[in-house]
This record gives sequence, structure tokens and C-alpha cells, in this order.
Amino acid sequence: MVSVSDRVETAVMAPKPAGRARRRWRGRLGVLAAQLALLALLLAAWEAATRGAAVNAFLFGSPGGIAAALIAAARDGTLFTDTLVTGLETLAGFVLGNLLGTGIGLALWYSRFVSRVLQPFILALGSIPIVALAPIVIIWFGTGFASKLAMATLSVVVVSLVIAYKGALGVDPDQINLMRSLGADKHQIFRHLVLPASLTDIFAGLKLTVGFALVGAIIGEFMSSDEGLGHAIFKAGSLYVISKVFAELAVTVALALVLSALVHRLERALLPWRHDLQ
Amino acid sequence: MSFARTIAGGAAAAGEIFAATDLGKSFGEDDAAPVEVIRSVSFALARGEIVSLVGPSGCGKTTLLNLICGLLAPSRGRIAWFGRPLVGTPERVGYMLQKDLLLPWRTAVENAELGLQIKRVGRAERRARAMGALERLGLAGFAGFYPSALSGGMRQRVALARTLAPDPEVLLLDEPFSALDFQTKLLIERDTARLVREEQRALLLITHDIEEAVSLSDRVIVLSRRPSRVITEHRIALPGDRTDMIQAREAPDFAHYVRSIWNELELH
Ligand SMILES: Nc1ncnc2c1ncn2[C@@H]1O[C@H](COP(=O)(O)OP(=O)(O)OP(=O)(O)O)[C@@H](O)[C@H]1O
Ligand SMILES: [Mg+2]
Repeated sequence: MVSVSDRVETAVMAPKPAGRARRRWRGRLGVLAAQLALLALLLAAWEAATRGAAVNAFLFGSPGGIAAALIAAARDGTLFTDTLVTGLETLAGFVLGNLLGTGIGLALWYSRFVSRVLQPFILALGSIPIVALAPIVIIWFGTGFASKLAMATLSVVVVSLVIAYKGALGVDPDQINLMRSLGADKHQIFRHLVLPASLTDIFAGLKLTVGFALVGAIIGEFMSSDEGLGHAIFKAGSLYVISKVFAELAVTVALALVLSALVHRLERALLPWRHDLQ
Repeated sequence: MSFARTIAGGAAAAGEIFAATDLGKSFGEDDAAPVEVIRSVSFALARGEIVSLVGPSGCGKTTLLNLICGLLAPSRGRIAWFGRPLVGTPERVGYMLQKDLLLPWRTAVENAELGLQIKRVGRAERRARAMGALERLGLAGFAGFYPSALSGGMRQRVALARTLAPDPEVLLLDEPFSALDFQTKLLIERDTARLVREEQRALLLITHDIEEAVSLSDRVIVLSRRPSRVITEHRIALPGDRTDMIQAREAPDFAHYVRSIWNELELH
């Protein structure tokens, strides 16, 4: 038997932060529930429309068909191998593109002269639609992993370069003065100030370019390949198996979400001073 | 030895730290309408001396400090450090800018040891010296805090610790105590005065607080509005222990100095 005064006491004694955390958690649950309900409603409407022949399931696919295609792809294992292949291409291109882009972008900070010389070339490279490069990339790098890596890298490198360079240039000049007054040489200013100060921008770039890398890899697979999610989408599309196209698309979206979540984790781990991220 | 140094130092007076002669600065000199910030300023700082610069906001005090320590190039005039024309930035100088400029990715103690790290002092020693500086400023318990978790006054004290940790001979401080409460301010002023007077260092201080300038300094230089020049230079002669800020405020001449500086700032 719990008395009223007991209950009042526990309510008063309950630590506030826990209460707040619980309320926030409840708020998040509410949003999630609403999102799931909306998705279920859309899927149900879609399914009903195709069953009632208001919409042609052959042309527009159907949730039931998508589920069947997912199960079939999981059964024969292509779901996992395709995801793994595309995931690896994306990750490799993402890492390589960002290493190159960030490296060059930060290096440009070192020499104003070199950066001014290179500026128009970088702009030119940045304005080429990467899709247009796909045929050449296939000719140069073949139809295997290397061409997909090249496409993913190209999709990332210019964006990453510009972001890192802008980040380095954005460092507070007073902060540079402070370093100079402490006797720092250019290398020390770079290591202790410019590099860490640019990390915030560089991570914003990482979040952006992980999606670009995936698009690059998929385009590479569209052009010519015998595995990967892009290949599966392309093949299903040309055979008019629309539900399968949607199934592979759903997997691609899931892959994109997982990769972004990984980058976010990495950012949180590497930037512990950013209280807004914690 | 000292004779040789005097010869090498050219015309520099004995014990002189730096001398600015007819210093002037205009921004945007290549533009059609350059902004003249400093017209002509001459003054010197000697070993063991505390000098304050006061002047209306925007008159060019920070600019003047940047010129003196080589972060900006003057448009006119000369700066000599230890009797030689300044090249680059001077050695053994602790410069504290108006903004605290703490690095957000470094904890308080890591910020305090920045200068030592740049001078390639070993890890254990620089940590110990930075902790010592933080302790003196009452921040021992906050060494592991990131700047984002510190109050404005605490951040300012961390910046002061960063300035003091490398043990500079000459201090150039730009409104270093403005964010402190009165108690802490008097204590830190006392510590700084001791540091300078007992160990024959030198301090150039920019401040808006006339009482602070008078109680702490040997000389107070009053600057005019932009484009600035020196209006007057007050030699502050107060009796007793010059590291005691309360005693200085109680001296009979204190109010007289404060009032005349205040009047000059009003008039110009
Ligand atoms: N890089 C710059 N380019 C153009 N004008 C500048 C520059 N730096 C400072 N100024 C101008 O020079 C003047 C003096 O600036 P400064 O920061 O030296 O003033 P201050 O005396 O330190 O003022 P406060 O007491 O408010 O700190 C201001 O009017 C400012 O706008
Ligand atoms: Mg200023």
C-alpha cells in the first residue's frame, strides 16, 4: 500500500535531470511513432491502390512486391553481396577523396600563391558534372572495383577540397596573431590552430560527401558492372521489375543512412569539445 | 658586460625595453581614402616599470600594441626593442589580446600551456608550469574544463595564465582585467605588480579603468581621439608599497590623478 505522502515524496525527490531525460525520450518516441504511422499509411494506400487496379502494379510496383523482392534477394544472398560491394566502393572513394581533397585544401593554405594559381582549375574541375566523366573512367579503369572507386573519389574530392580550404582561410586572424606573439612558426600555426580549427568544417564536408561518394559509386555501377546495388537497380529497371527496383533503392537508402550515422559517430568521438554534438 | 651591451644597443638608455618614436598608422593606405588611426605616438618602456595607456574607445590602443610587438607594420616611425630595430616579433614577450582567444578544442590547462608547447618545452614541465599559473589565478579546479564550460571571467583568467606561463620578461596586456570581479581584480593586479617590480620585468597595460591605471602604474599615457597622439604623460608618485592596490587608492594624491586624467579624456 503506497500512501499519498509517499508518492508526493518520491515525486519531489526524483532527480530532475532524469525526469527531463525521460520527457525528452517520450517526445522522441512520439515523433518516431508518428513517422512509422505515416509510412504505414502510405504503404497501405499504395498496396490498396495496386490491388484495386486503380494503379498498375506492373508499372508502379507494390509494397507486397517489394517485400517479396527483398526476401528473394536475401535468400539468394545478392542483397548482402551487392550491399557489401557498393558499401566498400563508397567507403573507399569517400576516404580517398576526402584524404586527397582535405590534404590539398589545407596545403593551399600554406601558399597563397599556389592557391591563386590553382583557383580557376579547381573551379573548372568542380563545375564538370561527374556523370559526364563516367564513360572515360570506365575506359581508363575498367569495369571492376577501380572504376567505381574512381567515380566515388571524383564525386568527393573537389567538394572536400573547397570545404577544407575555406575552413582553413576562415581561421580568426586575431588567433593567428596570438600564435605569432607566442613565437609560433608557420608549421606550428598550422598544426596547433589551422588544422583543429578546420575540423568543424571538414566534418561538415564529410557528412555531405558520404552521400556524394555513394552516388558516384552507383553511377559507376550503372555504366558497367556485374555486381553492386547500382547494377541490381539498373538490371531490374531494364527488365521492368519495378518492385525489385524499389527494393534495391530501399537498401541503398538504408546504406546511406548507416554511413551517415557512422560519420556522425566519428565526429562525436573526435570533437569532444563540441558540446552541441554530445 | 653591460658596457658592451650598451655599445651594441646603440643609443638605447640603460634598462630600456622598447622605444616607439613618432609612430603612425593608417589602414587601407592603397585605397583612395585611407583611415588614419594613429597620428604620432612616442614613448618608451624601461625594466621594472609599469606604464598604462588610456584613451577613448577606438582611438587605436590595440593597434598601437600590435605595432609594438610586430604584428602590424607601422606606416611611419620607428620601434626599437632593446636598442635594435624590431624584426619579426620580439622574444620573451607575453601579449594578451582583448579577446580571450582560447582554443575551443583545448581544455583550460591545455590552453594555458600553448605558449610553452610552441617553445617546445617538455610535456611534464609545461603541464606543471601551466597548472601553477592556473592555480595562482584560482582556477586549479577547472583545469580539465573546455572553454565552452567556463564563465567569461574564468576564460579571461585562463588567457592570463597562458600569457604568464612562459614566464615572459615583458608583458603587453590589452584590457586583461576587465571581465574580473573587483576582489579578484585587485588580487591579480597585486600579483602582476609584484611580478614586474620584484623581478625587474616590465608591463605595458591598456585599460579603460582610470583607477586601475593610476593605482598600478609608474606612468599613465593619455591618448587623444582618433587619429591619436599623446595628450599627456603622468608620472604617478604615490607613497608606500606600490604593490598594494588598496593603499594606493587611499593615498591623498590618488583622487587628484584620477580627476585630471578624467578631465583630459573629457576635453580631447
Ligand atoms: N584592420 C583594420 N582595417 C581598418 N581599420 C581598422 C583595422 N583595425 C582597426 N581599425 C580601426 O582603427 C581604429 C582603432 O582600433 P583599435 O582596435 O586600435 O581601437 P582601441 O583603442 O583598441 O579601441 P577599444 O578601446 O574599443 O578597444 C578603429 O576605428 C578601427 O575601426
Ligand atoms: Mg582595443
